[in-house]
Amino acid sequence: MEVILIFISAVLVNNFVLSYFLGICPFIGVSERIESSVSMGFAVTFVLTLSAAITWLINNYILIAFNVPFLQYVSFIIVIAALVQFVEMFIRKTSKTLYDALGIYLPLITTNCAILGLALFGALRAYSFIENIVFGIGAGLGFTLALVIMAGIREELDLADVPEPLKGAAITLIIAGLLALAFMGFAGLISV
Amino acid sequence: MAAKDDRKSVGVEFVKGFWKENPILVMLLGMCPTLAVTTSVINGLTMGLAVVFVLTCSSLIVSIVRNIIPKQVRIPVFIVIIATFVTMVDLFLKAFLLDLSKALGPFIPLIVVNCIILGRAEAFASKKGVFLSVVDALGVSFGFTITLIILGGIREVLGMRTFFGHPVLGEGFEPWIVMLLPPGAFITLGLLLGVKNSIDKRLKEKRSR
Amino acid sequence: MNRRLKMLLIMTLFACISGGVLSLVYLISAPLIEANMLEEERRSILNVVPGIDSYEERIEGEMKYFECKDASGFVVGYALPAKGNGYQGVIKLMVGLTPDLSEITGISILEQVETPGLGGRISEQVFQDQFQGIKTEPAVGYVKNQAPDKDTDIQAVTGATISSRSVVTIINRNIVKFREIL
Repeated sequence: MEVILIFISAVLVNNFVLSYFLGICPFIGVSERIESSVSMGFAVTFVLTLSAAITWLINNYILIAFNVPFLQYVSFIIVIAALVQFVEMFIRKTSKTLYDALGIYLPLITTNCAILGLALFGALRAYSFIENIVFGIGAGLGFTLALVIMAGIREELDLADVPEPLKGAAITLIIAGLLALAFMGFAGLISV
Repeated sequence: MAAKDDRKSVGVEFVKGFWKENPILVMLLGMCPTLAVTTSVINGLTMGLAVVFVLTCSSLIVSIVRNIIPKQVRIPVFIVIIATFVTMVDLFLKAFLLDLSKALGPFIPLIVVNCIILGRAEAFASKKGVFLSVVDALGVSFGFTITLIILGGIREVLGMRTFFGHPVLGEGFEPWIVMLLPPGAFITLGLLLGVKNSIDKRLKEKRSR
Repeated sequence: MNRRLKMLLIMTLFACISGGVLSLVYLISAPLIEANMLEEERRSILNVVPGIDSYEERIEGEMKYFECKDASGFVVGYALPAKGNGYQGVIKLMVGLTPDLSEITGISILEQVETPGLGGRISEQVFQDQFQGIKTEPAVGYVKNQAPDKDTDIQAVTGATISSRSVVTIINRNIVKFREIL
């Protein structure tokens, strides 16, 4: 039950992009076409899930076990950078199609705040191993959802008559604001 | 002559961060802390100063060691340097300013992945000398701080009727709570971008005339 | 090979320097951080159980609580640290109780990440003060948009029922658990 709550909360109620502002850079940069948003979304979900598992192990079996909490940020970010590199190499070797679809997005993921954010939130909330992985998958799907909705709107926006100074990033942010407002409606979905 | 050029470029490197290359409004970098912590001026200011410290220190170190780092591993090394300074800020806040540290929560550690810092390390400090790198870092990070203060100011005044915790709007003004919520953050920043764009356009028209 | 070795050496070097510097900073700041936490704990205990002279930490199974005594050594109440889920994240608070646990002497919200301006108002003194003198039997409750008429009820923050309810739930759950061990 707890696990389902964590999942729904990460996808809808506390959506990483729209309520924690994590992963805004790709949200604004990549969300111009639906196809590229879907690819980016899945690349991020994949890395999020993996890093949720690995950072949990590091946090519990190294940082807490050896009582060196102050190395948390340094070790998390190194692991994430290495993980992204490894995933990129692995995909390049094994699947050409997958690499073509995700390839260019992978290097961007290291500095995607969502990955480190997930590791930090997971550690802060002291989730169990399974809960942390579910949290990772949920956060990834929530990110994908927000990205795809945004891309859908922006494709239509090409035809709209936006006031000159608001063109580009400004109108994207305002739309994101309206989306965030809509997502707040999910808040009542979960009650304690 | 060379000295004069240097002095001029120091000024240019410092000032550009405030308007022409403002990290938030022009380069759209570091959005995540920008939006998340600007619910009040004091939060924005603290986050800004934390970034000033981290960016300046890491630019300094990166520009000193840039020649001994092999190209292939520069990004991991930069990240380690940045994460080290971020941890210092975090420990400092926890030791001396516990309440602020709680208010900013996980957004202090998230400075590590603030693209502004890695971006400056990669684009500037890894190529230029120590002095210019520090000046560039100071300019960009103060530009960042000021933008955070403006954003935090607007949101705090409209959302809580206060500025730096002091009441500025009368009781008759019903606070717009939405300004403190995520939608308010997105919309305020979007409008701020629009304002900057239209000022830029005015300036350009004036100049061409 | 040589170049790889150099890369490896440089990275190890930087990692070691970083680790060393951080350990040093941590060694200096850890006592301060610890003192901060203890001070906050002390302040919140004195806040929720009025008129006490000393307190003692007790640990019973998974529960931690503070036995509060007056100047002559009588137990005048308990302070119970509690936490649970709020609307957006974890709420941590301290509850003060009379020795027979029938009445709340005060609460203090220690940590919360509720929506500023709405749920965040559970941190306001006005909300916390309502809990003084609230009866815990059969359970603490809440009412919306009106002054409560039962001595077990508090009034929820307007527009933030979920956060208010979370606080009440956390308190109830911990009092029930505490009754079992006492």
